[in-house]
Amino acid sequence: MASVDITGLRKLYGDVVALSDINISIPSGAFYTLLGPSGCGKTTLLRTIAGFHDQDAGSISLDGNPIETLPAHRRDVGMVFQDYAIFPHISVRENVAFGLKQKKVPRAEMDRRVTEVLDVVQLGAFADRMPHELSGGQQQRVGLARAIVVRPKVLLMDEPLSNLDARLRVDLRAELRRIQKDLGITTIYVTHDQEEALAMSDTVCVMHQGVIQQAASPLDIYLMPANRFVATFVGANSFLALTRDTDQLRLTSGGALVSHKALGEQGETLVCAVRPEVLRVAPGEVQAAEDEVSIPAKLSNVSFIGREMEVLARTDSGEVVKSLARPDPAVIALDPGSAVSMCVRRDDLAFFEDSETGRRLA
Amino acid sequence: MTIAGRRLDFWTGVTGVVLAVLVVLLMIPIFRVMVLSFVDADTGNWTLGNYVEVFTRNFYLRGLKNTLFVGLLGTIGASLVGIPLAFFTARFHLWGRTWISTLAILVLVAPPFIGAYAWIMMLGSNGFVTNFFERLGIEIPTIYGAHGIILVFTLKFFPFVFLMTQTALMAVNKSFEDAAENLGCTPWQRFVKITLPLVFPAISTGAIICFVLSIADFGTPAILGRGFRTLSTIAFTAYRSELGGLPTMAVTVSMIMIAISMLALLAQRRILARRRYASGLTNLPVKMHLTGWQNIAVHLFCHGAVLIAMLPNLVVVYTSFLKTNGPVFVGGFGMESYARMWRQAPEAIGNSFLFALAAVALITIFSAFISYVIVRRETRAAGAIDFLMMVPYLVPGVVMAIGFVTTFRTGFLSGMGAAWLLILLYFIRRLPYGVRSTTSSLRQIKPSMEEAAINLGAPPLTAFLKVTLPLILPGLIVGSLMSFITAINELSGTLIIYDSGTLTMPVSIYLAVLDGEFGLAAALSTVLLLCTGACVFAVFRLAEKRESSFL
Repeated sequence: MASVDITGLRKLYGDVVALSDINISIPSGAFYTLLGPSGCGKTTLLRTIAGFHDQDAGSISLDGNPIETLPAHRRDVGMVFQDYAIFPHISVRENVAFGLKQKKVPRAEMDRRVTEVLDVVQLGAFADRMPHELSGGQQQRVGLARAIVVRPKVLLMDEPLSNLDARLRVDLRAELRRIQKDLGITTIYVTHDQEEALAMSDTVCVMHQGVIQQAASPLDIYLMPANRFVATFVGANSFLALTRDTDQLRLTSGGALVSHKALGEQGETLVCAVRPEVLRVAPGEVQAAEDEVSIPAKLSNVSFIGREMEVLARTDSGEVVKSLARPDPAVIALDPGSAVSMCVRRDDLAFFEDSETGRRLA
Repeated sequence: MTIAGRRLDFWTGVTGVVLAVLVVLLMIPIFRVMVLSFVDADTGNWTLGNYVEVFTRNFYLRGLKNTLFVGLLGTIGASLVGIPLAFFTARFHLWGRTWISTLAILVLVAPPFIGAYAWIMMLGSNGFVTNFFERLGIEIPTIYGAHGIILVFTLKFFPFVFLMTQTALMAVNKSFEDAAENLGCTPWQRFVKITLPLVFPAISTGAIICFVLSIADFGTPAILGRGFRTLSTIAFTAYRSELGGLPTMAVTVSMIMIAISMLALLAQRRILARRRYASGLTNLPVKMHLTGWQNIAVHLFCHGAVLIAMLPNLVVVYTSFLKTNGPVFVGGFGMESYARMWRQAPEAIGNSFLFALAAVALITIFSAFISYVIVRRETRAAGAIDFLMMVPYLVPGVVMAIGFVTTFRTGFLSGMGAAWLLILLYFIRRLPYGVRSTTSSLRQIKPSMEEAAINLGAPPLTAFLKVTLPLILPGLIVGSLMSFITAINELSGTLIIYDSGTLTMPVSIYLAVLDGEFGLAAALSTVLLLCTGACVFAVFRLAEKRESSFL
């Protein structure tokens, strides 16, 4: 178990910046998740830590000892692969024993540790099976057992659940987290699934275009996104244009007052973000309550998906606003194009500079 | 230490060794041939005179014309047999389909020169078919000359067009054809307008292989030519007559052969560059049942084509069991030919196996490492190696051997005997077979396999040996078998290099045929056919996609 410190890490592919000045500090035993869309650099970062890519600058240390110049086979970091990478020509037991053999662990201890770890991942009965006899979920458990049996300083996981079906994914993610906590092993986890990231992590690190956008606890990432990109990717926020009216901010569409305070610079364009679950939809025109804002819009589409309904509406200036709310028969019955009001409490709004990674304004 | 930002590791070293070997055994000999073609044989000065001579003297010009003539017509002939055969086997229910493709594969891998002399035994001036018709009072044309060479090329090379087109036809999405029919095409229009264009890339690849092999072929025109000379026989004779001096005319003719092969390949690449038919395999073609005379005609054509192509090999085996007295067949069956083989050519058999096995051992080791470098390393050096693996296909055996001799008989490797030269020649010429098969095997293995091994503490070589190698082993063995077949059947390059101590079976067969010793040639050929057949059988047992392993 080790702390991980990454400073000034940079990686280029030709002219393309894959990782730009990455600085990360992970305390020993933490579950640290790299979250982002495909191509954001999260997998590149993980593979650079594992030693499969060479960095162009920067350092990676475990417990203060630099490892960035060590070849991959001497880094002492375990890895679980997206496609499992279970060796197909040897049995489950031999797969798990592979790393111990490399370390020349004595026979008796090796057998004991393999049996132990297979019990931890609940595959004791499958030790002598061949990999093709196992399901995807079982193969990934072998992958986990194989990685942790050598007691690596850090465990790296590259979208380990993405090839599994939805139900199994949820089960296995709880199990992964339990085993990780029991072992207390520092873990870096890569995923593009925001729900998975929020559910499992101590810290979520959102990446975009090779740059860290925000690294914080799941709750902070969700409720206090540091910039517009994080708000889009994690919270599925809708964005509304703002107009500055002396010191006040008003919605461009409908003109409702959203802030008494002057935010940002004069002349700077700002947007207002709203998460779908805080938006209430009602048919026709609705008078807003004291602490609320009412946004007039035209209904685009309603999907009733059981537990909730998803409403897409378009404001007069063309912004698409999404709401997730308790199913309301009166709304579901509406025809597309009907006038609706989208109501939200002023406290639930957040303000950002109007660019892809525009800063959040307090 | 780093090179261009890349850490040096085990595979960097492997890449370096492989590049060095390819430079010494492939690039330098070819470069030597190129340089020599610009040297005046008498004065040793630089000159363009050799090329002027080739392009002005009738002797060479006719050779060039002859080469292109038999090459083109042989290719057309092979396509005319191969394309219908492919269409029939891919689209109709045929009795004995496996049998047809097995025979086609046997024809493909059988020693190339056997066809030529077997046809002499059938249709030569004293051939049994010729004699049969003579007794009936009918005079039929003999096999010698251009038409004979074209016939042999057609029957020898059509399996390339057949197997490649068949593979492509079986992968064409049937929805395209259904759509054409739905839009009002008759079956014939559909075939011409939709199916044929879709498999054109495969057809053209098969045809280009036929053309390149026809250009390079030495045995057929040497045995059947009788005064009809092609560039490969001219290069060979020129080399023989220039012995002692600089073989400038031989290498100049060689350069022209390389140029023709490369131009053909480039032309094909250009034509194909504009065609991309990605086709999802959602709707596989269905085979139709034929009835009546159509069914009979198609069966006759398919079985007839492969049987006639196989005929030379059968004749050779049959001949080997005929009773002989010296070079004369005296009627009845006997084992005299084999007895003579044991008396006269035991060292040829031993040499053939020794050289081929030694070359294949090297090929197996290099194929394993080269395929890893090509598939897994995205360096410029890996790209260069990948490209260089195409070169041996394009350089005729006579040319490569002349390059070897002119390079290694002088200079730092001059101490090497003919045996080593032959082993290295087979190695470099047949290496691509091993590399290609291993490469396609490795491409199906996910890189995460090796990464997992490395991540668990295995150094690169250990990860390769413990994880990658067992997974690519079938492909590696199939590739080695293919290179063994082609190495033990090598004739043209061996004829340039061999000396009295390094006779091989193909050379002995060639010499026996020239001496009219058909019984001895047949016995030796039968031995070659037997070990070729054994290798084919082994490939069948090992390979998942049987037919594509041979292409």
